[in-house]
Amino acid sequence: MKRFFIFVGVMLFASASVASDKDLREFIWTNKASFHKSSSKTISPVIDSLLKLNSGGTEKFLLRWLNKELWFRKSDGLVVTAKKLEKKSYKIFDVIDEQLIEVIDKKKIKQIKPNSGVRAIISSALVQFQLLNADPSIRSKTLDSIARKPDERFRVPLRKAIEIENNLKIKNRMIRLEKLLTVRFEKNISQRVEVIRSLKNDLGIDVRGVLNQIIRTALKAEKVIPDNINISQILEPEKGAIDQYDFLETNHSSTIDGSFTDLDAYLMLVKEEKAPEILTQKKLKDILTQQAEIGNIKREEAHSLDSYYKRNSVLNRLIENGKVEPVVSREDMKNIVAQYVFYEEYAESSREVTNAATETLNLINNRVSVFSFVDLILEGLSLASIYFLAAIGLAITFGVMRVINMAHGEFIMMGAYSGYVVQLFVTNYTLSIVIAIPVAFLVTFFAGIVMERLVIKKLYKRPLETLLATFGISIALQQLAKIVFGTQARPLTSPEWLDGALIFNEIISISWIRVAIFVLSIAFTIILIYVLNRTRFGLETRAVTQNPSMAASMGVNPDQINMFTFGLGSGIAGIAGVGIGLYAKVTSELGNDYIVQSFMTVVVGGVGSIWGTLAGATLIGFLQKLIEWFNPSNTLAAQTYMIIFIIIFIQFRPRGIVALRGRAAGD
Amino acid sequence: MNFIKRNQSLNFVIFFFLFSLVVTIASELAMGLFSTSFVKVLGKTMMLCLAAIALDLVWGYCGILSLGHMAFFALGGYLIGMWLMYERTKEIVISAASEQLIPLTPEETKEAIGNQIFGVVGGSDIPIIWIFADSLIIHLLLIVIIPGLLALVFGWLAFRSRVTGVYLSILTQAMTLALSLYLFQNDSGLRGNNGLSGLQNIPGYGNITQDVISVIFLWLSTFALCCGFYLASIITKSKLGNLLVGIRDDEARVRFLGYNVELYKLLIFVVTAIMAAVAGSLYYPQAGIVNPTELAPIASIYLAVWVSIGGRGKLIGAVLGAAFVSLISSFFTSGQIPNIDFWIININWVDWWLIILGLSFVSITLTTQNGLFGLIEKVKERVINK
Repeated sequence: MKRFFIFVGVMLFASASVASDKDLREFIWTNKASFHKSSSKTISPVIDSLLKLNSGGTEKFLLRWLNKELWFRKSDGLVVTAKKLEKKSYKIFDVIDEQLIEVIDKKKIKQIKPNSGVRAIISSALVQFQLLNADPSIRSKTLDSIARKPDERFRVPLRKAIEIENNLKIKNRMIRLEKLLTVRFEKNISQRVEVIRSLKNDLGIDVRGVLNQIIRTALKAEKVIPDNINISQILEPEKGAIDQYDFLETNHSSTIDGSFTDLDAYLMLVKEEKAPEILTQKKLKDILTQQAEIGNIKREEAHSLDSYYKRNSVLNRLIENGKVEPVVSREDMKNIVAQYVFYEEYAESSREVTNAATETLNLINNRVSVFSFVDLILEGLSLASIYFLAAIGLAITFGVMRVINMAHGEFIMMGAYSGYVVQLFVTNYTLSIVIAIPVAFLVTFFAGIVMERLVIKKLYKRPLETLLATFGISIALQQLAKIVFGTQARPLTSPEWLDGALIFNEIISISWIRVAIFVLSIAFTIILIYVLNRTRFGLETRAVTQNPSMAASMGVNPDQINMFTFGLGSGIAGIAGVGIGLYAKVTSELGNDYIVQSFMTVVVGGVGSIWGTLAGATLIGFLQKLIEWFNPSNTLAAQTYMIIFIIIFIQFRPRGIVALRGRAAGD
Repeated sequence: MNFIKRNQSLNFVIFFFLFSLVVTIASELAMGLFSTSFVKVLGKTMMLCLAAIALDLVWGYCGILSLGHMAFFALGGYLIGMWLMYERTKEIVISAASEQLIPLTPEETKEAIGNQIFGVVGGSDIPIIWIFADSLIIHLLLIVIIPGLLALVFGWLAFRSRVTGVYLSILTQAMTLALSLYLFQNDSGLRGNNGLSGLQNIPGYGNITQDVISVIFLWLSTFALCCGFYLASIITKSKLGNLLVGIRDDEARVRFLGYNVELYKLLIFVVTAIMAAVAGSLYYPQAGIVNPTELAPIASIYLAVWVSIGGRGKLIGAVLGAAFVSLISSFFTSGQIPNIDFWIININWVDWWLIILGLSFVSITLTTQNGLFGLIEKVKERVINK
């Protein structure tokens, strides 16, 4: 019994389908001329009625049309599909059931090539089929294209698709998109308001875009406000700007602080040609030049007109003589402005909708600003960890050993280039980063040891000269890198699992590379604190830096300890270079960008303490982000203010945030 | 002989007077042996020497390694450059408008100048800091006042909190970096990274050719260098000079003797900052352009290296170092020396010069404490002893 019904159902369905196939074929036959040569203007009604046919073959037909797979027979104009048989003969098939019609000479058929405008219309017609496509990636892509070009006619197919969608992620996207379309195109006001209010928890930038579009206003000026319009506010022009207006100004701009003055009002009327132009210097000069050309002003007199007052008096004389039309005075301007009412009118005509949109937008914006602040904190944390990473090696060489190593930045650069070279040989990015870290450490560790042996060892008593000598090394290394690797930036590619970002919501996100740098910084802190405070080597290092001769008498070899400590600091700079190289571009000048900041970080944090460097980096990172937040367009200014802040900060805490006390402080 | 030996600054003046005389005769004005650009290089080198004297005073004598003196130097260039550029643009604007029936009003002139100068950074208004740009006298005063004031405020802050030694160097470097980053902004009012250009033309004397201008600036530079040297040698020989050396060698001890150490440090810091600014104000009209890269911290380090190579703590040493290294640098980087194929490496001197320079900093710092001048003295001593 059950089977019988299914059978009947299938039969019914099949027969209906067959019938509409026939209809489709007929429809194509009757409209063949529109398919042969179509323009975006004429094709829309044809496609609309094609969709109304609601035939099973429509999707396939549209797809073929879109992909330029359709041909037509020149003799009678039959639309077919074709397949190349030999050089000049083609097999042609029926468009619907794909039955072979005949083998035909190439000259007798022609390919149908819809232009890009027509293709756009076809693909939007295809949307309703693609939303029901079995492949979720196609459905998802279709949603992308709807989001890019929202249109009212997608609403019905979207609703249908929502009902049968079983992928929850796509279904949610569909629902959201449908809501956005409703907000934009729904005619029923109460339904529209309801949907607008339901969006209040959505932080998406597209939602804000749509809502902003609803509450967009236009400034208008009329003598009487027309009835039945949706007014945002009536503006009362602030008086006084016309009185203060300086006719000497060569060009005037409207006030910046957002207030709407009577001068702004007047200028708006001028723009709408409702009031005569103001006599600016430029216009005055044009008038006088014109008058001089026709001889109303003598040449010698014209040459003497080198100030506004002289020009003005000549103009007044010309007006009195009736040669020039009188110009608009301040009183005239004020009178004209007084005749008009200025108001902002919503493009959207329904008051309820604009109110709902304003309220919802305010709610959303409040949430956005809270989340932006959280995001700012994350960014500050990330910047702090980058500064920390750059400065950590210096915290040892400068902070603990008090050696001014101007080549520190170049050690970072060497680390980054080591990573690059490793990637040339190891193509698996994950593996290459794992290899690059010890390689970078070893390269810079030995470079540091060589430098310590050859140069720094001889200058321990002359810190200022260490600065100069290491600076010499710095420029030599930089130039060497430029010769070896060239001036262009070399990529240090991160492994795939570091691509993309950690996304909390639409506002708060942080790239995985920055997370990795953060983790690396934490790891460094722990390792270094452990090495310096808990190991024999750390103990000896601290002993040697505090009092080398006493340490020596206790059986520590200061020479060796200095060498290895410097090597350790340099090696860490090398690892930092790999981390920084992942996020910044690797050039020979990479070190330059970090050297002064690194010294600042160590000095602000407090020389001689890893914790201090951490504190210094945190302070500098957060502060810089905070300054950038107030003035987002200008990172250069942020850095400038940052440095000024540091200079002032050192006034109050000359020894930095974490100041060492007692003998460890030395001097 | 004794007289000559004692009166070093007179020797210095005579030497540079004769030098400039020789250069003038050899220039394109007379014999044509030296090109105009070479005369300019010599004039510029003298101003670098003056900056080196300033740094030597503050570092070699007082022990303050300032990495900010090239910032004062460039600031001097900016201050004279503002006047040069403004007046020069004004001339161009007025001559361009001379065709029109009605002459420009002062306001129109200003607007046209604003458009010309600030068009590249997308503005047309003349910033407030250009308010005196039409007055040479005020700008000459500003060359002294502004760097002096900056040095005063910065020095007061730094010395007051007893920042010394390496920390002070880093702090001055930070100041330089801040200033240069500030100037790099387009809305700094000084044309961002474009800097000020066309400074080689003297407003009001458009018909004087560059070969004459180069010689004029050569003599101005000579005069400034001699004055600077004279002033510096007076300071070093005076009681003040002794005090400065005392501060360098043991600051605490001088303080315990009852001197206000901070005051003297501040004094010498401000004086040398002004000296550097004056040097810059004569340097950049010869260079023709000043931009924020001139302020980069690296420039000040170079200056320190020159002084160090020449021999710090000796005024002649500073002059020697600056002249020697900057001339040899411009020689190597001019591309006049043929490249050498060495094994698999092609040695291009423009590239490799920096490596040689860097390594020679290291070796000179390591081998001699008194630089080239010390080396010369040593050789002299040996010759005399023999």
